[in-house]
Amino acid sequence: MELILTPHVNTPNGFTLDFYVKQGGYEALRKALSMTPDDVVDVVKASGLRGRGGAGFPTGMKWQFVDKKSSKPKYICCNADESEPGTFKDHVLMERNPHLLFEGCLIACHAIGAKVAYIYIRGEFYHVQEVLEAELAKARAAGFIGKNIFGTGFDCEIFVHRGAGAYEAGEETALIESLEGKRAQPRLKPPFPAVAGLYDCPTAVNNVETLCNVPPIITRGAEWFASLGPEKNGGPKLYCLSGHVKRPGVYEAPMHVTVKELIYGEQYGGGIRGDRKLKAVIPGGSSVPILLPDQIDIPASFDGVMKAGSMLGSAGMIVMDETTCMVWAAENLLYFYKHESCGKCTPCREGGDWLHKLLGRIERGEGQMKDIDLLLSVANNITGKTLCAFGDAAATPVLTTVGLFREEFEAHVREGRCTLKADWRSEARAHAHAH
Amino acid sequence: METVTLTIDGQSVTVPKGKSVLEAIHASGGHVPYYCYHPGLQVDGSCRVCIVKIEKMPKLQTSCSTACADGMVVTTNSPEVEAARASVFEFLLVNHPLDCPVCDKGGECPLQDYAYSYGPERSRMEFPRRVFDGEGVKADVDFGPTLMLNRNRCIMCTRCERFMKEVDGDAQIGVFQRGVHSEIATFEEKGVVSLLSGNLMDVCPVGAITTRDYRFKSRPWDNPMAVDTICTGCEKGCNTTAWIKAKPEWAKGARLVRLTPRFNEDINQYWMCDIGRFDYHWVESDRRLLQPHVRSSRGSDATPWDEALVAVKAAVDAAGASHARVLVSGHASLEELYVLKQFAGLTGGVTFSWRHRPKPQPANTQFPIPAVDAPNLRGAKDLGFKLGATDSATDVSGLRAAVDTGAVKLLYVIDPGPDGSVGDTEWILAAKQSGKIATLIVQGVLKSALTEAADIVLPGCAFVEKDVTFTNATGHVQPASRVITPPGDAAEDWQILSKVAVAFGATVAQTTAAAVRQAIASECGSTPGYSALADLAFSRPVSARQYMQASNPMERGKWDTMFQDLPPIKFGDDFGPLPRADVIPLKPV
Ligand SMILES: Cc1cc2nc3c(=O)[nH]c(=O)nc-3n(C[C@H](O)[C@H](O)[C@H](O)COP(=O)(O)O)c2cc1C
Ligand code: SF4
Ligand code: SF4
Ligand code: SF4
Ligand code: FES
Repeated sequence: MELILTPHVNTPNGFTLDFYVKQGGYEALRKALSMTPDDVVDVVKASGLRGRGGAGFPTGMKWQFVDKKSSKPKYICCNADESEPGTFKDHVLMERNPHLLFEGCLIACHAIGAKVAYIYIRGEFYHVQEVLEAELAKARAAGFIGKNIFGTGFDCEIFVHRGAGAYEAGEETALIESLEGKRAQPRLKPPFPAVAGLYDCPTAVNNVETLCNVPPIITRGAEWFASLGPEKNGGPKLYCLSGHVKRPGVYEAPMHVTVKELIYGEQYGGGIRGDRKLKAVIPGGSSVPILLPDQIDIPASFDGVMKAGSMLGSAGMIVMDETTCMVWAAENLLYFYKHESCGKCTPCREGGDWLHKLLGRIERGEGQMKDIDLLLSVANNITGKTLCAFGDAAATPVLTTVGLFREEFEAHVREGRCTLKADWRSEARAHAHAH
Repeated sequence: METVTLTIDGQSVTVPKGKSVLEAIHASGGHVPYYCYHPGLQVDGSCRVCIVKIEKMPKLQTSCSTACADGMVVTTNSPEVEAARASVFEFLLVNHPLDCPVCDKGGECPLQDYAYSYGPERSRMEFPRRVFDGEGVKADVDFGPTLMLNRNRCIMCTRCERFMKEVDGDAQIGVFQRGVHSEIATFEEKGVVSLLSGNLMDVCPVGAITTRDYRFKSRPWDNPMAVDTICTGCEKGCNTTAWIKAKPEWAKGARLVRLTPRFNEDINQYWMCDIGRFDYHWVESDRRLLQPHVRSSRGSDATPWDEALVAVKAAVDAAGASHARVLVSGHASLEELYVLKQFAGLTGGVTFSWRHRPKPQPANTQFPIPAVDAPNLRGAKDLGFKLGATDSATDVSGLRAAVDTGAVKLLYVIDPGPDGSVGDTEWILAAKQSGKIATLIVQGVLKSALTEAADIVLPGCAFVEKDVTFTNATGHVQPASRVITPPGDAAEDWQILSKVAVAFGATVAQTTAAAVRQAIASECGSTPGYSALADLAFSRPVSARQYMQASNPMERGKWDTMFQDLPPIKFGDDFGPLPRADVIPLKPV
């Protein structure tokens, strides 16, 4: 199967400008610049490309919403904050195929009438930023970025901005606030970024992987792209496999691939380590509901996973085998959410911390039966009442683990300890710490 | 005006286009709680207590951040909304210290009131609360020269942050840390340094920000009376409310315990400055002039009013009326000036004086405090007085020149304002010392070097002790109401002047202040604002509860639906039948 986004990630110096140009790089940009912006948007729309940042919103539509009639400058913001637990695909693209991203940014700018794209990169990705800056300089020197690109009169700049390291900075309006030099806290919507985004100007926020899909679409056409996957789920997709699989890592596949294949397929995860039993899969980064082993024979597509009651999200597949204590897993995740809550709105700020405390108490064997219902109640009270989607994301790990593994929580309370085998427990912890 | 019509709890409501659902709910007599929303600040949508159900929207919506649209169907009281709202209140109280008994906001606290009305019966939180006090650190910290901050009580509504950014113009406050550890702080160690700092106490919906001035001084139920009045600190004329303490002995004998701003869209919106807010202690200080004084060979003696007025007449006769000059402060009210005007022509001339003091404020502030510390210069002009060469700065050069040539035998100073309200007085003292001014008469409120040097001292009333009117810089003719009675024998200044007029050989026809205002109304009726003077009503002390219901339209709804004269006790079924009939029954949530 042909790799579209990651063919050369293991090739030495595959990330350099020379290599990229030899592979026909920046030709998509040349082609896009010979088209009108509206035509570019139409092609992307026709391709059915859906945002890879989590929500799966159609990218062409997002660009179309950008208020082109506005007299203000327009901006592309590339969301490279990749902080969702279990997600590490944008990292690979930026580190190993940076010019694909630049080319995507430039085409996106052309499409919406922007002259500047900002790549907002996660605070911890210092080494990636160095790669990006170095390659950016080369592309600029080669005339792919800057003034009068290809002599078409198209001016475009790309800037890399490294955040201070916050999950919430990945929320699109929080990202914009952070770019403006403020705290990474979300804004009220509406107005949406397409109308008033960065510096109150029309802005499109797109995920790294989303933008990387744009050059192939331009080069090879919308139909080709759509035909790669199931209907409405076209194009290549990167999957981040982590947890108890034999071969964790980033895998590219069209969205026909099933969750089961990703976990057990020889060219993917290669099965569960130690050939143990699968217990649970979180298919879209930590913020989505769990799939049980009997639910995984489904296409790993936006719609396929949705139909099974979860979400593809960022395609961070967290695989947990039978040694995993679900109470501990939930506590672990809630530590993340309470730590990363931006604190702007009440339910998430106060509720996340409360959930974490309750989970800690149960996990330590100090909980009471009523704590389990309280967990559900608090999580439900957060859901749907917060300013941004973070609140729902924080409540989900609790709702899904208690919902599917309630007996484990009850056992903790009854026995005053975890009832899984003691060696499993320590193994799981060691595994978690190794990552 | 374009309007939209929507349905709120089954009732059709029409509001101007652009209003939020929250505003429409309040305008139609309904109520939803709110914290981060403040009518004078931009919408934040962060506290989440104002959530309502709007048909066709999948989730509950925050009413403060949702614009009204035609045909919208809003529900504020369905079981779903009530349960959701209660859950947000539970979250708000998860880490709140609930130290209401020692909190300055207790009794007038939106968190208390709303939590009792809309919150759950009890909290299910069993963990120790997050506190900011640790080793060597107190939750209660200095927050600049005028304020204190208790971070434990903060509910993160960010009104204070937005006030500084949007109104003050100098964003000194920010949120530090994140998540449950978020805290309000200033970027600089020194805290909030602003002439508008007192407003932060007003906007703070809990007892997190308190003023040093009012802290621990009183409780709302100890201030049963409030009077609507205006500030006379400068030519802005902010609308204010003065609060009177029931047991003055608890506040070191002072009855006036605080001044708070009162909404006036045209003048001060929701705000007032710290000068107006905090500079009132002189009113009930021991520096007040309590009796007339007349200097004789024995020194300056307290005298009854009739003897003092005889002395004034003797002094005027000795100097000759045309050698008597009047120096009047820009603090004199319309009534006082109108009486003065009736004998001004018999004197050697009237000169105005005031203090001109530019205020250090950020250039982009939305609440500029004028440099002219006088509430009635516009009024003086409207009455036909000449203020001097320029309108903004005092010009006493003519008077000084006359004093230098020895042409002024008697100087009559009228100074009903606080310290410095009559501007520079050094030159008067020097002239009196050197004998260039033979006789100095001072009608004022405070003991000062000038009253020390005066031959006759006539005690007048401070701005909160008399019913008088002022015209601010923008031409608003406004009443300042009597809040407390004047001390000792101090008399209303217009009355003093109408008696002094006799000494100059004039008779003042009006025998009541109302008659004076009527006369002004018929004389200046063509100037906007003045015709209303004829039948002006002054505010009288009203019970604070009633005040709350009648005042600030945005805070009003809260007090319409809450009780606040009873200790905050929630009456559930387990506490027996509901007590007194005026308690608004709380809905079980
Ligand atoms: C709490 C939170 C964190 C997010 N983090 C990221 C992120 O790290 N990277 C990302 O691309 N999108 C993230 N998103 C989604 C963005 O808000 C936005 O939907 C996305 O960048 C849009 O890009 P796309 O249309 O290309 O998917 C996050 C959303 C939320 C609510
Ligand atoms: S849900 Fe609220 S507190 Fe949580 S991250 Fe979003 S805005 Fe911040
Ligand atoms: S200190 Fe008061 S005004 Fe400021 S955020 Fe906290 S509760 Fe709100
Ligand atoms: S601005 Fe002027 S009128 Fe307003 S409170 Fe301050 S001193 Fe008083
Ligand atoms: S008042 Fe609406 S969210 Fe705070």
